[in-house]
Amino acid sequence: MKQLGFIICVLACASASMRAQDIVVQRLQGEVAVRHGVTEVWTHVAVGDVLRPDDTMKTGKKGTAVLTAPLRSNGAVKRITLPPEVIVDLSDVRELSQEELMLKLTMERVRASSYQWKNDDLHIPNAAVVHGSDQSGAASLTDNDPQSGTLQWNGARVLYDNGFYSTCALKSMELFRLYPAIGVKFENRLMAAEALEKASLHGEALSEYTAMLQMEGVTSTQQATVKERIAELRKQ
Amino acid sequence: MADAATYAQPILSPRAVGLGVYGASVKDSRDFVANPSGLVGMRDWDFYATTYLPASSGGSGGFVFGGFGAGKRFFEDHALAAQYTPGALLEFVLPSTMTVQGVGIAAERTVTYAEPVAAAYAYRFSDRFSVGVEGRLRTETINDPRYQFVDSTIVSFANESSASTWFLDAALAWQPSTGLTLSAVGRNLANIESGELPAEFQSLSLPMNRSLEVAAAYDFSPAFRLTAGAGSNKYGGIGGEWSPGLGLAFRGGMYLSSVESPALYAIGVSAGWVIGPVEIDAGFLHFTDQEGRKGSTSTADFDVSAIHNISMNAYTTDRLLLSAKVVLGKVRESLARIVGVEIVSAVYPSAYQALAYRPIGKVRVQNVSDKPMQVRASFYIDRLMDAPTESPAVVIAPRDEADIPLTAVFNESVKSVSTVTVREGNVYVSATPAEEYDDRLQAKVLIHGKNDWDGDVFSLRYFVTPDDPEVIRYSRDILLARKDSLVNDPSELQLFRKAALMFDAFAGKLLYVNDPKQSADFVQYPAETLTIRGGDCDDMTVCFSSLLNSVGIGTAFVDILPPGRPQDGHIFLLFDTGLAPRHASHIAENPKRYVVRKNKSGFETVWIPVESTVITRGFAAAWAEGARQYFENVEVGLGLVKGWVRIVDVY
Repeated sequence: MKQLGFIICVLACASASMRAQDIVVQRLQGEVAVRHGVTEVWTHVAVGDVLRPDDTMKTGKKGTAVLTAPLRSNGAVKRITLPPEVIVDLSDVRELSQEELMLKLTMERVRASSYQWKNDDLHIPNAAVVHGSDQSGAASLTDNDPQSGTLQWNGARVLYDNGFYSTCALKSMELFRLYPAIGVKFENRLMAAEALEKASLHGEALSEYTAMLQMEGVTSTQQATVKERIAELRKQ
Repeated sequence: MADAATYAQPILSPRAVGLGVYGASVKDSRDFVANPSGLVGMRDWDFYATTYLPASSGGSGGFVFGGFGAGKRFFEDHALAAQYTPGALLEFVLPSTMTVQGVGIAAERTVTYAEPVAAAYAYRFSDRFSVGVEGRLRTETINDPRYQFVDSTIVSFANESSASTWFLDAALAWQPSTGLTLSAVGRNLANIESGELPAEFQSLSLPMNRSLEVAAAYDFSPAFRLTAGAGSNKYGGIGGEWSPGLGLAFRGGMYLSSVESPALYAIGVSAGWVIGPVEIDAGFLHFTDQEGRKGSTSTADFDVSAIHNISMNAYTTDRLLLSAKVVLGKVRESLARIVGVEIVSAVYPSAYQALAYRPIGKVRVQNVSDKPMQVRASFYIDRLMDAPTESPAVVIAPRDEADIPLTAVFNESVKSVSTVTVREGNVYVSATPAEEYDDRLQAKVLIHGKNDWDGDVFSLRYFVTPDDPEVIRYSRDILLARKDSLVNDPSELQLFRKAALMFDAFAGKLLYVNDPKQSADFVQYPAETLTIRGGDCDDMTVCFSSLLNSVGIGTAFVDILPPGRPQDGHIFLLFDTGLAPRHASHIAENPKRYVVRKNKSGFETVWIPVESTVITRGFAAAWAEGARQYFENVEVGLGLVKGWVRIVDVY
C-alpha cells in the first residue's frame, strides 16, 4: 500500500512537472480553434488541452480563451486571456532571453539578406536563365487576406499587453512584411517600436521611431509623440 | 723494361675522384656514366671538359686531354647527355721476341682498350625519384705486327684486329627522405657486339660481367654531405663534401675493396669553385700501394680479367685532374627558396572550380637575396591542368620568409577521375618576371573520385547541374505533359505550381535508396539519379534542385547538423516561388509552411521547404515535413543563428 502511494505521488509530481512547462487551456467561451503545427486545418480545442509550442490559437467574434503558460524568468504560471478575434502563435507566448532575442533579430537579418556568396568563391551561373516573367497566367493576385492580418495583429497586441515584448516585436516585423497595410498604420508602428523599447532593444527602437517620422500622413501630434520618445531614448 | 707492360689511363672528373663514391652524387653531365639518372639535376645546358696529368709520366708527358661532354635538360623532367672521351683508354705494350728465318726480332704487341663515346637519357618521375639509361661504347684493338724479309731487310706489316661493343647500363636515384639519396646502377645489362677478335687474341678481351653498384649520400646540412657505396665486384668507398660558401667545395674520399691489399687502396681529394655559370675543379687521386701503378709492370702480372672498369682498375696510376664546367640557359642564381609546401585541401572533382579561388595549399618561401623580392608561386598537376596556376605576388624582405597561397585551375579531365588517387603537384616559385623559376618542389595531392563529396553543404551545390541536357530534357518533358494544368493558374503562382508538378512527377518515378557506397560522402550527379531512378537524401535533393533550376526556379539547401547529434545531420531543400510575401496566403494560410527570404535578385519572396526523403508520398507530404523541420530547427531551435543550421543558395 505504501508502494502504491509512492508511485501515485511520483506520477503526480511528474505530471505537475510536465504541465508546468506547457500551455494549458483553462477556460473557453464561444468560437475558439487551434491549428497544430504546419497544418492548415483549424480544429476544436477543449478546456484542459495541453498545447504544443508549434500550435496556433484563434478566437472568433465572440470567442475568448484563458490559457496558462509558465514564465521562465520566475517559474510562475501566467494567465493569458485571448479576447475575441485574435490569432496567436503559442511559440510566441514565451519570454525570450536577451540572447535569444538578439539571435532572433539576427535571424531576421540573415533571412532578409540571404546567403551572400563568398568573394573568393565561385559563382556558378544557372544556364536556365529566365528573362522576364511568364504573363500567360490569369489576373494578378490579391493581397493576403486582410482579415487574417488583423487577427494576427490583434494577437501581437495580446503579446504586448501580457508583457511578451520580445515576441511581440518580432511578430510585428513579420506581419509588416506579410501585410503591408498593417505597417502603414501609425499606431501599429508605435506599438512595435514600444515593444522594441521595452525589450531593451534601444538601438532598434530608435531606428524604428526615426523611420516613423518619415511615414506619410503623420500628424504633428504623432510627430511630437515620436520625438518625445526619441529624446527619452537618447537620454538613456 | 723488356718484359714490361705500359699503359695509359682513362679519366674521371675531380669531383668524382674527391668523393670516392659518386653514384648518389651525380647532378649534372660530369661523369654521368657513374649514374645516368642524376642527369635530371641539370638546370639547362651543361658543357664540360676535363684533363689529367698521370703521375707515371712524372709530368714530362704533360696533361692529357680527357674529353668533353654536353647535357641538356628538357620538358622539365627529361635529360640527355653525351660525351666524347678520347682520353678514356688503357694502352698496353706487350714486348715479345720472335724469330724470322733464324733471326731474332724484338717485337711489340699493342693492346688498347677505350670507351670513347657514351650517351645517356634520364627521366624524373618526381622530385624524389628518377631513372636513367646509358650506352657505352667499348673498343678493343690489338696491333700485332708481322715481320718478313724483303730484299734482305726485315719489314714489319701492320696486323690490327679490333672489336667494339655497346654496353647498356640502367640506373635509378631515390630520395626517400629529405637529404638522403639512394642510387643503384646495373652494369652491362645488355650489349651489342660488332666484330670479334681472332681466336689467338680472345684471351685479351676484357670481361663483360654484369654488376650492381649501390650508393647512398646524406646531406647533414646544406654544407655537409657524406656518401658511401659498394658494388657486387667487391669495390666500394666512402667520402664527404664540405661547402663552406662563396662557391667553394672541398672533398675527400677513401676507396676500399676486399680484394685489394691493403683494403684502403686509394684516397682522393678535390676542390671546386663555382663562379657564376662556371665551375672549376681540381683533384688528386693517390693509390696506397704503388705496385704495378708506375706505368709499367711485369708481363707475368698482366691480368686482363682484373679490368672490370676502365676508369678504376689495378693499373690506374696516381693523377692530378682538372675540369671546367659551364652552365648555359637558366644560369642565374636562385633568389627565392621553397622552405616547405602544405597542401590543405583535397581535390573534389565536383567542386574543382572552387579551387581556382580557394587555396589548395600554401608554399613557404624564403627570399635568399639581399634585396626585397616580389615572389610568385604557381601550382601544376600534369594532365589535370592545362597550365600552371599562378598566385598573386608577395613581397618578401631580404632573408625573410612568407606564405604564398596556391590555387589551381583544373581542366575537365579532373571530372573523369573515378576513384581516389594521389598525384604529384608541382610547386614553382619565381622572384623575377622571367619564365624560369627559382625553386621547385613536388607535393602529394589527393584527388577524390568524381562522386565524392567533402560533406560541406557549400560544396554540395557543385553537384547541381541545371544545364545538363538530361536534366533539361526531363524537366521539360514533365512540364510539357502537364501543360494544360498550368494554364489557368495566375502567373505569380506558376513557379510554385511547376515545382509541385515536377516534384510529384519526380516522386512517381524515383525511389529513395541508399547510394552505392552507403555513405554520406558519395553523391550522384542528377543525370545519374535520373538514369538509375533512385538515390539517397543528398542525391534526391541535388537532383530536384537541378530540375527546378533548369526551369528558372531558385533553390537553397538547408543543412541541419544538430549539436551533439551529428548522426542526425540532414539536408533538405528550399525553393523560391517568386511570390511576394503579401501574396503568401495564396499558397498557404499558415505562415509556418513557408519561409520569407530574399532571392538572388534581392527581393523578399516566399520559399517552400521540401523534404526529399518522403518523396514517395508526394509533394504535399514532402512540403509538410520540410516545413515542420524548418520550423522546429530554425524558428524554435534558432539553429540558423546558432550556427548548426546553414542555408546555401543554389542558383
